[in-house]
Formats: sequence, C-alpha cells, structure tokens
Amino acid sequence: MSDDHDHEHEHIHPPAPMVDEVSEFEVLEIAVRELAIEKGLFTQEDHNQWTDYMHTLGPAPAARLVAKAWLDPEYKKLCVEDGVKASLDVNIDWVNTMPTKFGTPSDYCNLRVMEDTPTLKHVVVCTLCSCYPRPILGQSPEWYRTPNYRRRIVRWPRQVMAEFGLQLPEDVEIRVVDSNQKSRMIVLPVRPEGTEGWTEDQLAEIVTRDCLIGVAVPKPGVTNNAKRPVRKAVNPYKH
Amino acid sequence: MTEVNPRYTELDEEMASKELDSSPINLLEKIKQEGRVWDDLSEEYGVENPDPPWRISLESTCDALAGGYWTPFNICLPKDERKPVMADDKKIDSNERRWEEDKLVEERYADVPFPERQLLALAHSLIRRGMIDESELAEKMKLIDKRLNFGYDD
Repeated sequence: MSDDHDHEHEHIHPPAPMVDEVSEFEVLEIAVRELAIEKGLFTQEDHNQWTDYMHTLGPAPAARLVAKAWLDPEYKKLCVEDGVKASLDVNIDWVNTMPTKFGTPSDYCNLRVMEDTPTLKHVVVCTLCSCYPRPILGQSPEWYRTPNYRRRIVRWPRQVMAEFGLQLPEDVEIRVVDSNQKSRMIVLPVRPEGTEGWTEDQLAEIVTRDCLIGVAVPKPGVTNNAKRPVRKAVNPYKH
Repeated sequence: MTEVNPRYTELDEEMASKELDSSPINLLEKIKQEGRVWDDLSEEYGVENPDPPWRISLESTCDALAGGYWTPFNICLPKDERKPVMADDKKIDSNERRWEEDKLVEERYADVPFPERQLLALAHSLIRRGMIDESELAEKMKLIDKRLNFGYDD
C-alpha cells in the first residue's frame, strides 16, 4: 500500500479523536484495582465478569420494551404484571445473565414497570443509595446518584421535575417510587401525540433514559437526554 | 414532615457512629489538585464520550469489592436477611461505601467532577479502612505510570 493511498485514506476516514495522555485518575483507578486483587479482595476474574457484563448494558432494551408496549396492549399488560418476563422479549434475562448466573425474581431481579396515565406520572429514585435497573437501563447518570436529587425528589417532586424541564399540570398526580429494597423500576410513559402510525423503531428512539427514569416525557424529535446540572444538597435531610 | 427512607436514617446513624475519617490524605489531595479530569481532557482532545474509559472498570471494582449484587451480600435484601460482612470476608458493604462516598464528596471532594470524585472517595475509604495503604498505593501508581508512559523494562 503506497503512502499516497494512506494519505488519501485518512481524508476519507479521519481517525476518531482520542485522549492522548494518561491522567492521574486513570492511573489511580488501575492502582486501586490491582492492589485490591493483589490483596485478595477480589480476583481478576471477578472483575472481568462484571466489566464484560456492564459493557453490554445500556438504555436501548428498556426503550424497546416501552415501544413494544405502546404498540401491543397485551404486551403492555405483561410489562405491568411481570416486568422480568416482559424483559425477555427485549433480550434481557434478569435471572440468568448476571455474572454469577444467580437471581431470583423476589429480590434484585424484580423489575417493576410503572405505567403512567394522562393523570398519573411516576418518577424513580433510590433514596438509600443509587440502586438502578442496570440490566435494562445501563449505568445511572450522575445526577441520579446525588443526595440532592435523592432527598429532594421525594419531598418536592413537582418542583424538582420542573427543574428538569418537566412541568406537569396540577391535576396530574405524581408518584415517586423508591428503587431500594427488593425492586428495580422503570417508567412506562404515555405515548405522545404525533406518533400515530410510527414503527417500533421510530418509537424506541424517543424513549430516552430520562423518560425511563421519569424526569422527562417522550416527545417526537427528542432522542437525547438533556444535559442536567448537578447541584449540591443545601438542605440535608435532618434540617 | 419527612419522606426520608427510614433505612437511610438508620444507616446514617450507624455510619456516623463509626466516625469515618474524612481528613485529607496527602496522595489523594495531590491527585485532586493536579489530576486532569475527563471533562477537561475530552474537551481538549475533542472526544465526545461523556465518561472516561475507566468508569466501567471502577464500577466493576465497586461491585467486586461488595461481593457482587447477589448471594448473602445482596444489598437489596433487608439487613436481617443478609449475611453480616465479617472482617475476613474482605468485602465492603455497598450501602456503607455509598454512604462514605456521599460524605467524603461533601466534605473533601466536592469540587471534583464525577466519576473522578467516586474514585477518590473509594480510594479514601479503602485507605481509612486499612484495606490498602497510602504509601503502597503511591508506589503502585508510580509503577503503573511508568508502565503506561514508558513501557516495561526489557
């Protein structure tokens, strides 16, 4: 292959930008992990299992579940009655695909699909820590983990949702559902107007991660999560 | 009026009694002050990935340290249904680690963005729990830095 060809090739497919330096944080992450392994806190294999598993996760299966539910009333019914079983149709097996091949529908593997109606809106939180339905929704966003969100959404849900840009009419009841204990939750939002005749693929595109947590509602044309500010808690719960 | 999860209050009281030492750790302070965070690096290099490439590895470390999300350590189970974490289990209960992360971020790493703050808090917790030592962590970092930037000795 000639140099000229390589040069021409670069113009057609420029390499994706990369961070070309090693940060202290990158080094720290490796150092903590390797020391933990050397000390027997866990094994490299334990870590590999989790990493391999988590690389496969993202919000796409949950978005697909919602889109299917919007198109198929029977499937919607299944979602609400048995989220774990409904997840199988979007290729998520809560019981058998965890790295340990362990799971029972009574604890971590209990997915609940919270169905919104025009007069009822659900929003998900984990007040205890940051439990999240990772198998079907991927990694939690930063703001979801913060004490500020966790403490305030339960006390002032309408106002906090408005901070996210979601202003709900007064006649819409808001139900905050807590992910801790034995369940994980996702929200099944109301199918928006303007999506009549859409395919499952089209519908899945507008079901963003934030819609599935409940701090946003699907809108035609909106396929990405808005950038969310992360605020420090100014009123700890004891006050 | 309070809608705070009673378990959070219970955990908060329990953990407060353990007096987590959030005082500065020299090595981590240095990283906090001099380390380049992903927000800056990704902007400088024009990378669109919102998370640093090591984030999933960090999450996996946290999960592995907790013994995973399953079996007797399952943090989602009520406490009386879980196996207590014993000293020789070499595990960190996930709820405790998250409580410590919240506290350490608030008191020491508030100016550091996520997930760098999660990493600093985890290292802080491990050092204060005596699971790793500050000096050996510093030494390990030197070795890794050399490995990544200059390669291995022939």
